Amino acid sequence: MRVKLLAPIAVLLCVLAVFIATDPPQEPADFTFVDRGSIQSLDPQRMTYTQDLRIGSCLYEGLLRIDNFDPQWKVIPAVATEWEVSNDGLTYTFRLRDNAKWSNGEPVTAHDFAYSWMRALLPDTAADYTDLFQLIAGGSEFFQWRRDALRSFAASDRTGQPGEAMRLWEETQQWFNEHVGVQPVDDHTLVVTLKARTPYFLELCAFTPFYPVYRPLVDQYVTIDSRTGRLNQQHGWTKPPHHVGNGPFVLKTWRFKRDMRLEVNPHYWDKGSLNVRSIATVEIDDPNTAVLAFQTGAVDWLSSVGVDYKADMIAAKQRFYDEHRAEVDRLRAEGKQWIEIDQLLPPDPRKDIHAFPAFGTYFYNFNCGEHLPDGRLNPFHDARVRRAFALAVDKRRIVEGVTRMREPVARTFIPPGSLGGYASPDGLGCDPAAALALLAEAGWRRQGGTGPLASEAGERFIVVEILYNTDGTHEDIAVDIKNQWEAALGVQVELRGKEVKVYGDDLDNHNFMIGRGSWYGDYGDPTTFLDKFRTGNGNNDAAFSNPAFDALMDRAGDERDPQRRMDLLSEAERMVMEEQLPILPLFHYIEPYMFRADHVTGITDHPRQVHLLYRIDILGDGIGRDEPLGSALR
Amino acid sequence: MMTLIVRRLIQLPLILIAIYTITFSLAWLLPGNPLQNPEGRKPPPEVIEEMKRQYDLDSPWRFYVGYATKATGAAWVWDRFCGDEEAKPTLAERTDAHRQPIFYFGPSLVYKDWSVNEIIASSLPISVALGVTAILIALLIGLTAGIIGALRPGSLADLATLSVALVGVSLPTFVIGTILLMVFAVWLHIAPIGGWGTLRSVILPAVTLSLPFAAYIARLTRLGMIEALGENFIRTARAKGLPEHRVVLKHALKVALLPVLSYLGPAMAFAMTGSFVVERVFAVPGIGQHFVNGVLNKDLTLIMGIVLVYATMLIVFNLIVDVLYRWVDPRIELTGG
Repeated sequence: MRVKLLAPIAVLLCVLAVFIATDPPQEPADFTFVDRGSIQSLDPQRMTYTQDLRIGSCLYEGLLRIDNFDPQWKVIPAVATEWEVSNDGLTYTFRLRDNAKWSNGEPVTAHDFAYSWMRALLPDTAADYTDLFQLIAGGSEFFQWRRDALRSFAASDRTGQPGEAMRLWEETQQWFNEHVGVQPVDDHTLVVTLKARTPYFLELCAFTPFYPVYRPLVDQYVTIDSRTGRLNQQHGWTKPPHHVGNGPFVLKTWRFKRDMRLEVNPHYWDKGSLNVRSIATVEIDDPNTAVLAFQTGAVDWLSSVGVDYKADMIAAKQRFYDEHRAEVDRLRAEGKQWIEIDQLLPPDPRKDIHAFPAFGTYFYNFNCGEHLPDGRLNPFHDARVRRAFALAVDKRRIVEGVTRMREPVARTFIPPGSLGGYASPDGLGCDPAAALALLAEAGWRRQGGTGPLASEAGERFIVVEILYNTDGTHEDIAVDIKNQWEAALGVQVELRGKEVKVYGDDLDNHNFMIGRGSWYGDYGDPTTFLDKFRTGNGNNDAAFSNPAFDALMDRAGDERDPQRRMDLLSEAERMVMEEQLPILPLFHYIEPYMFRADHVTGITDHPRQVHLLYRIDILGDGIGRDEPLGSALR
Repeated sequence: MMTLIVRRLIQLPLILIAIYTITFSLAWLLPGNPLQNPEGRKPPPEVIEEMKRQYDLDSPWRFYVGYATKATGAAWVWDRFCGDEEAKPTLAERTDAHRQPIFYFGPSLVYKDWSVNEIIASSLPISVALGVTAILIALLIGLTAGIIGALRPGSLADLATLSVALVGVSLPTFVIGTILLMVFAVWLHIAPIGGWGTLRSVILPAVTLSLPFAAYIARLTRLGMIEALGENFIRTARAKGLPEHRVVLKHALKVALLPVLSYLGPAMAFAMTGSFVVERVFAVPGIGQHFVNGVLNKDLTLIMGIVLVYATMLIVFNLIVDVLYRWVDPRIELTGG
């Protein structure tokens, strides 16, 4: 009986052992990191998430790239060696290098860019960043033309005929070539014409969605639906061994939700500049396990620290600095930045956490509409009321007592100092007395001076509702703000915590009174933040509409002098941050990382936080420069 | 027996259609748009509209029918035998490697580069291997502890195993998992911090996953054993002068094992569906996380794909178990049911 029972178990054990052993973990790479989330797509035109864009900038290369250690965030040559901008600022001529190659050895040409940018503009692709490509002359017309053509195709008697569907696709390409401002003059010259002056267009050329894909490969995965005429794009091509890119690295392995390995692209024109030969990512969803993985040395960089005790880690680092006060002060006096100081101080596990400023802001939206979703009159339609509520909040209390991360308190929407040449307005501070004065002006007084807020007629102020999503610390922040408003203004505040998708829908549909929000800039221009407040903008959750603001933004758009343009934009931000207050900015984000500053270099502290993995260098491994890069903050 | 199998096989698609319909209705009603980051920047409305159209998210009916025909293989059969390849012109010569599988669950709506088939194929075997290992460990621990406890009820050893079992049942797996990680990976450096692919990396998650099962098995064995040891046939065996270990392991255990065996069925199914918590703590790329994340992300194709695969597996397993019962013990009457 025992043999009968043991035999199948023994067999099972052998099968298990063989199964597990034939599915090995990847071999160690020069540089290993934990990305901030799972990769969603490696198709550059469909990328939106930070982690996708980060890997994308290794696998592909655009016309230009960014020097992410330069305080001004300078654009430098990549596939394009030189470029010219016409006097009216509308036409860009790029000269492409001869030695730019795809990872299969084929040359990269101007046609590759034209094809990729056409993909991004197709309704069949429906790329998240379509609107950035619509800055190109004829871009939005092309999108609409194709969309209408597809609709009429499906309704006509051409539908269902493969030949006709193919013809529609050919017509589409022809339309693009004739009407859209992306013209490959020859294999190495690309002329781009814009719809309007766009001072940040060069930077967009360095943004991953503008990177090219290899047409002969991608086309293999596209079929045309003869019923609708639409392109049906499959994505098998983004995986090894099929994948072809033109970036510094090639994709060796990619196991879903598990790991990924990149190795140097043998055909890359600038591979001599690379300081690591291979890069690996491992996926660890659990924040605590990720910290343990870093502490045991299994990974070199944790690109997001999500543990509950991160504030304590940051505090511990502060204590470490306190213990080395004299040394730190001396280095600060020499003009050294924090990242350089970390490289010089003695090794200590406490110093491995780094809280870098980010290009984003945490804020509360005021619904600016005349009526609330339930039809009642909205007191927050009055800018004075919004300003009063903004003045009543002590933001320092939140970053010190609630998040405990000591983020920079926000008085403006755009993180100050993150954009070269842009002077941030002052914004509003905390002044509860001024808040009450403003409310009095708007017809609301505290009864008996300390009682509930009410109108002259004795009608109480509406019960204020705060909408937020229940994950993370959002609830704690909402509770604190509720307490502050109740104490300072004598209003009653209720919390509306919702699951993130429900919250997102409510925000989208302006179905809230006051709603939590966050915003990260996409490109290096104030408009990436300020456009949000334009009348009718799809991201204008506050439903803010102010003709004077819109007019200022339009004037800035037409302004040819770069400095005057910046001044106009600064004035526009002053208007929304000091007078109109469609949002109440609370703090600017910081991003905590873990890495050993004396072991890894190439992780930038620039607030834009674009980490170009091809700049990473493991110090002392004998590969590449092995010299620490400094700081982007000067 | 043949009628049983035939009848069950006829029922299979009907049950699946019911499961599919219910899951689809519930999943469709989840709030939010899977193609969009709820906290991120929103593309222009006309782009959102086109995105939805691309994945049939603009019409529940089209999604329901389209997905069903692809998932059941009907679309594949149609393309193969009734439709013509010409109907789907391609932009470039295609190699066979890119063709769609027979039962196609579509691309994930969130992880757009991966098909649900690829996701299930990569993660399900891992969860099954982890689950089976965990059950084997649970049997080893549970049986040993149960027998030791039953031999001297009320003794120190019994008390010790009972309290360990209590801890195993009541401590949440993420606590046990984190403690094991701290001890074996961080302090002792004898296990990797997570991941998958070496025998060493399997042990910690398998032990963590096994503990609640082991505790239950220990209790079942102990009770069964105590009961069996009081039976007459044991007294007979002892009277015959059999050594104690033979009495316990051969005669008593045989009887005590029966409740454990019937518990193993559901335990196995539960262990193999993958544990979200264990997979998360140990960074195991199993399927358990997709159950949870699929719903949180409203990843319709992924939810439906996993549910359909699991439903099929469970139905077929049940059928096999029923047939095996019948084969092992002809006294059991199986009527369709």
